[in-house]
Amino acid sequence: MLTIENLKIGYKTGGEEKVVLQDLNATALKGELIAIIGKNGAGKSTLLRTITGLQPSLLGKIYYEGKYILDYSRMELAQKVGYISTEIVRASNMSVYDLVALGRFPYTDWTGRINKENHLKIMDAIENSGMMSFCSRYISELSDGERQKAMIARILAQDTGLMVMDEPTAFLDIGSKYEILHLMHNLAKTAGKAIVFSTHDLHMAISQADKIWLLTDLKLMEGAPEDLMIQGDFDHIFDSSAVRYNSDHGTFTFKSDEKGSIYIEGEGILRYWTEKAVNRAGFDVSREKTDPSVIIPSGESKNWRLVIHDSISEYRSLYDLIGRLTVGDNGTI
Amino acid sequence: MTHLLQENNITKGTLLPAIRQQKMIFVFLSFLVLLFFILDLFLGSVSLSAGEVIRALFSNTHGHLETIVYKFRLPKAITALIVGIGLSLSGLQMQTIFRNPMAGPDVLGITSGASLGVAFVILGFSVNISPDTLKGFGNWILVAASWTGAGTIMMVILFISTRIKDIMTILILGIMLSSGISALVILMQYFSSESLLKAYVIWTMGSLGNLTTEQLNVLVISVLAGILLSLASSKILNALLLGENYAGSIGLNVKFARIIIFSCTSILAGSVTAFCGPIGFIGIAVPHMARILFRTSDHKILIPGTILLGGAVMLVSDIISQLPGSEKVLPLNAVTSLIGIPVVIWVILRNRKYSGIY
Repeated sequence: MLTIENLKIGYKTGGEEKVVLQDLNATALKGELIAIIGKNGAGKSTLLRTITGLQPSLLGKIYYEGKYILDYSRMELAQKVGYISTEIVRASNMSVYDLVALGRFPYTDWTGRINKENHLKIMDAIENSGMMSFCSRYISELSDGERQKAMIARILAQDTGLMVMDEPTAFLDIGSKYEILHLMHNLAKTAGKAIVFSTHDLHMAISQADKIWLLTDLKLMEGAPEDLMIQGDFDHIFDSSAVRYNSDHGTFTFKSDEKGSIYIEGEGILRYWTEKAVNRAGFDVSREKTDPSVIIPSGESKNWRLVIHDSISEYRSLYDLIGRLTVGDNGTI
Repeated sequence: MTHLLQENNITKGTLLPAIRQQKMIFVFLSFLVLLFFILDLFLGSVSLSAGEVIRALFSNTHGHLETIVYKFRLPKAITALIVGIGLSLSGLQMQTIFRNPMAGPDVLGITSGASLGVAFVILGFSVNISPDTLKGFGNWILVAASWTGAGTIMMVILFISTRIKDIMTILILGIMLSSGISALVILMQYFSSESLLKAYVIWTMGSLGNLTTEQLNVLVISVLAGILLSLASSKILNALLLGENYAGSIGLNVKFARIIIFSCTSILAGSVTAFCGPIGFIGIAVPHMARILFRTSDHKILIPGTILLGGAVMLVSDIISQLPGSEKVLPLNAVTSLIGIPVVIWVILRNRKYSGIY
C-alpha cells in the first residue's frame, strides 16, 4: 500500500535545509493500524504531511500501490490518501452532511455537484462512522468526539486506501478516545484500510497497533509493538528528559523519583496493586529480599506491614504505606 | 438556480425541508430585488408619478421626463444593483479565503488599495493625461489601476495571515494598512493640481449617480465577469472552508485557488471602488445576512443568495439616500454604514470567540 524509501524530510528555507528526519524506511500494508510514536518535535506531523503529499520530501521516495507519489496528479493522490490533522474545522452553518460531502471533492465535476452515486457514498460513510443521527446537525454543535467521527466520515467518503491521522485521539475523553480507536480498528480490519496515525498514548499504541513507527534521534524504527518492547527500543525515547519508560512494566517513572528497589511478599490482586503503588512512589520491585521490604495483607492480618531492620510497622491502607516510604526518602528509615 | 435545487432535492433526502425553505427564500429575494429596482426608478429628488415613469420608459420621444428616467434613474438603479452585488460577493469570498468573519473589502484595506490605484491615475499620471482622456479607454486604465491596488493589498494581507493566525491582530493590521495608504494619498493630493484634486475628492465621497455611460459599461462588464468567475468557483470556495491543509488533502490546488479567488475579489471590489468610490460595510455585512437566511455553508447556495441580497440591500440604501419626497440627498456611505454596522455588531456579539462564524 505505502512504501517509504530512504526518505529525508524537513523544511527548505532559502537554500538551507532543516532536516527533521532522515534515512526513513517503512511500509504500511492493507488492513494495518500503524502508530507513530515520538517526542514532541520529533517530526510526527512533518512525516504525516509528507506522506500525504502536502509537503515535498527533501530526498528519497514514497510509493503508493507501487507508484511514485509524484507521478500521481493532485486529484489522483486525493483518491489514494486521506488526511486528518489536529486542526479543527470551524465553519458556521456547515452540516455533517456538507462536511462529509467535501470528501467527494476529487470525484465531482467542476461545479461540485453531488449526484446519486456521490450521495450514496456520503451516506455510507456517515453510516459506517456511526454518525447517521447527526447527519443534518451543524459541526459547530458537535462534541470533540463527534466532530472527530465526522472528520473520519469525511475521509471515508474520500474513499482512500490509506488514511493518515495526526493525533486523532488528542483532546478526547477516555470514552470517545476508545470509541474513535475502535472505529479505526474496524476500518482497518473490515474495510481493509491502511491507517497511519500519530499518538502520545503509548499504552494505546502498544495494545492496539499492528505496527509502530518509533521516531528517535532523526531515525525511524519499525516493528510490532512487542518486538520493539523486547529490543528495549522504547527505553530510549524519553532518555534525555526527566521521564524514563520502563519496558518491564510498560510504565513511566520520573527520573528524580527513582529510589531503589523493594521486595514485596505475597500474591494475588493485592500484590498487583501494591506493586503499582510502589512503582508510582519510585521503587522497582525486587525479586530478592531487601531492607526495607513489604508484606501484603494475608490471613488474619488486614494491614500492610513494612519491615525495616527487623522492626515491623503496620499500615491500614496503601496510602499510609506509600506515605511512610516517601518520607523515608528523607533519611528517616 | 432552480435546476440545481431540484437535484439537491433528489439527493439530499434527509435535508428536504431546508431545501424547500431555501427555494422559497430565493423566490422571495428575486421578487424583492425587482421591487426595489422599480421603486428606485420611481423615487428620487424630482417626484414623478408611477404613470409618468412607465410612460417615459416606453416612449420614443426625448423630453424632460425621458432624460430624467433614462439618463439618471435607470443608470443609477443599474449601478446600485451592480455595486451591491460586486461588494457583497467580494466580501463573501474574502471571508471564506481568510476564514475570518470580519473580512471585507473595506475592513482589510482592499478598498484603500483600490483608492491608491485610482489616486495614481487621477493625481499622479495625469501630468501626461488630461482629465478628459479619462473617457473611453481611460476608464479601463482607471479600473485596472484599481484592480492592481486591490490585488496588491490582498497579497499583503495574505502574507500577514499566513504568519499571524489571530483574527484581531490581522484586523488591526488591516486598519493600519488603510490608514497608511490614506496618508500616502493625502501626500499625493498635496502635490497635485487643484482641478485634479477636486476630481479626486468628489470621487472619494462615494456615489452611484456620477457614472458616464461608458463607465457604466466598463463597470457592468467587469462585475459580470466577476460574478461568472464566482459562480464557477463555488466548489473551490467550499473546499477552502476546511482550511488550506485539508483543502490540499482533498485535491485542491491551493495556489491556483488563491489566484482565482484573489483575482475575482480584486476585480469585483476594484471595479466598484474605481467608479463609485469607497462604499463601506456592504461587503462585510451582506454575506452574513445570506448565511443567517439560508443557514448553510454551501457556496452553491450562498453565492446566488449573496448576489440577490447584495443587489436588494444596495437598492434600498440608494432609495433611502434619495430621501423620497424631499429634495435633499444623503451621503450613500452614511446609509450603507447604518445598515451594515448593526449586522456586524450582531455577528460579533453572537460569537465573541470568533469560532465558526464565517
